[in-house]
Amino acid sequence: MTYITVNRISKKFKRRDQITEALRDVGIEIEQGTFVSLIGPSGCGKSTLLRIIGGLETADDGDIRVGGVTPIEAQSDKQFGFVPQAPALFPWRTVIENMRLPFEVNRKGGRQTPEQSEEAKELLRSVGLGEFLDAYPKELSGGMQQRVGIVRAFASGAPILLMDEPFSALDEITREMIRYQLVEIWEKHKKTVVFVTHSIREAVFLSDKIVVMSNRPGRISEIVDVDLPRPRSHELEETSEYQRYVHHIKGLLRERWEQ
Amino acid sequence: MSSTENAMENRVSASPRGKAVPRVKLGKLFGSEGNWSHYIQPALAFIVLFGTWELVVRIFNVNPLTLPAPSGVLKVLFSDFGFYLEHAGVTLKEAVIGFSVGTFVALIGGVLMSHSRFLERTLLPIAVLASVTPIVAIAPLLIIWFGFGALPKIIIAAIITFFPMLVNSITGFRSIDQNNYEYLRSLHANKLEIFLKLRLPNSLPYLFSASKTCISLSVIGAVVAEWSGSDKGLGNLIQMFSNYMQMEKMFAAILMLAVMGIVLTTLVRFIEQRALYWHSSTNKRNG
Ligand SMILES: Nc1ncnc2c1ncn2[C@@H]1O[C@H](COP(=O)(O)OP(=O)(O)OP(=O)(O)O)[C@@H](O)[C@H]1O
Ligand SMILES: [Mg+2]
Repeated sequence: MTYITVNRISKKFKRRDQITEALRDVGIEIEQGTFVSLIGPSGCGKSTLLRIIGGLETADDGDIRVGGVTPIEAQSDKQFGFVPQAPALFPWRTVIENMRLPFEVNRKGGRQTPEQSEEAKELLRSVGLGEFLDAYPKELSGGMQQRVGIVRAFASGAPILLMDEPFSALDEITREMIRYQLVEIWEKHKKTVVFVTHSIREAVFLSDKIVVMSNRPGRISEIVDVDLPRPRSHELEETSEYQRYVHHIKGLLRERWEQ
Repeated sequence: MSSTENAMENRVSASPRGKAVPRVKLGKLFGSEGNWSHYIQPALAFIVLFGTWELVVRIFNVNPLTLPAPSGVLKVLFSDFGFYLEHAGVTLKEAVIGFSVGTFVALIGGVLMSHSRFLERTLLPIAVLASVTPIVAIAPLLIIWFGFGALPKIIIAAIITFFPMLVNSITGFRSIDQNNYEYLRSLHANKLEIFLKLRLPNSLPYLFSASKTCISLSVIGAVVAEWSGSDKGLGNLIQMFSNYMQMEKMFAAILMLAVMGIVLTTLVRFIEQRALYWHSSTNKRNG
């Protein structure tokens, strides 16, 4: 079932005399319970598209439906679990209190998801943070903080997760580890995920569908369905099918680059 | 505020469980150990200072009308301690009430001005005007208007507190982390929730840093106002004793003021360390 429909949206930013065309005629359909990645060169409008879907920004033209309603309505219905580039943890709250945050605001709005603190703890344990429930963000490493941000989105009761390069500030090894943890959690919860990344290998590894975007103005150049078996683990990365997808996407991006 | 208090409660209740984070405990341990050496050094410095003073007065036989010996000052102070304490209480009350009122008004102003640039542009110049006018100049005016009682002193202490608190609260309410702000927006949090969950706790480090200066400024304000006209308070005593050249008594009153200043700033520091346990500035405090 199609859950998110983006229909020919456009977006321009005006700053002083300069106009940036961030998105032109972008359309995608995202099925419920699928993992979709947005990939493309820097500045092609990935974040803008994600923010428009999440109701943090409005499109100039076109139409977006999230479960049949507008992004703002979906937002007030608490449908989004947002994971920005830097972990949005509140420094005066412990890990478990940060997990509680989505339940403390906008209480009357939308679905009354009961807070599942057992589930929150279970999720934290599954990413190796079981010992850190009462720690403050400043006592955690960057990778640990980002893991909290990710599992908070899963535990928040939101059916749609919007992740904007959640791994970009991490070192290669941590990044890989968290990627494996993310795929494991996701395969258990099967939420609808829109995931922005710069990493081709990451996109192929995680996604059901990869939206390849091109630059100036930002538009969609191709949508690739990733038919790789699940559950996925690191062994997948050794297979030739996986490599073929990586090469294919790389080719698409290079093509755009050379134009 | 509620979120911070919440957090504090939880932290207190969390530690006896013992399983918390080792790093937290280490931090606490070092904190309490460090405190001792924190007190020893200043204490030594004071002993040396007052010892030298005492010696100089005795050896050179300084005229007590110029500079009384510390021993004499202490003798006078403790022979009539209740008297000094009573007057100190008056000044303390004026300063603390003035500080609280000034802080309260500043917070309201901060909320309004951080909320709207229009209000900031209209109201801030008035606040600046009030802050650059020397309080020494306003004090006599307020005495004429409000008499010899506590009110004009409270007003002066409040005015002196107001501006630094205002500027810092505006900064604190505004300088929020953009990621955290967007996160709350993505949950459709309303303005009040964003204020209570993000802006207010975010402003605490700024407010405490301003409080540390303002609390002693408010004592100065109260004393200056007492000079302009009063029948009670340490400022009143200092002025009176200086008129009669009663140096030892005057020094006793000054000593009370100094102690009051130290107690108040230490108190603010203490509360700060409790309230800002999460802040990087409270990570380690050595040196
Ligand atoms: N608030 C804004 N004001 C003005 N221009 C903006 C704004 N946000 C984005 N843009 C412009 O829109 C274009 C797309 O930006 P966007 O952040 O969506 O790119 P991106 O694909 O996420 O890039 P990156 O991979 O570097 O994060 C860029 O040219 C950027 O300069
Ligand atoms: Mg981006």
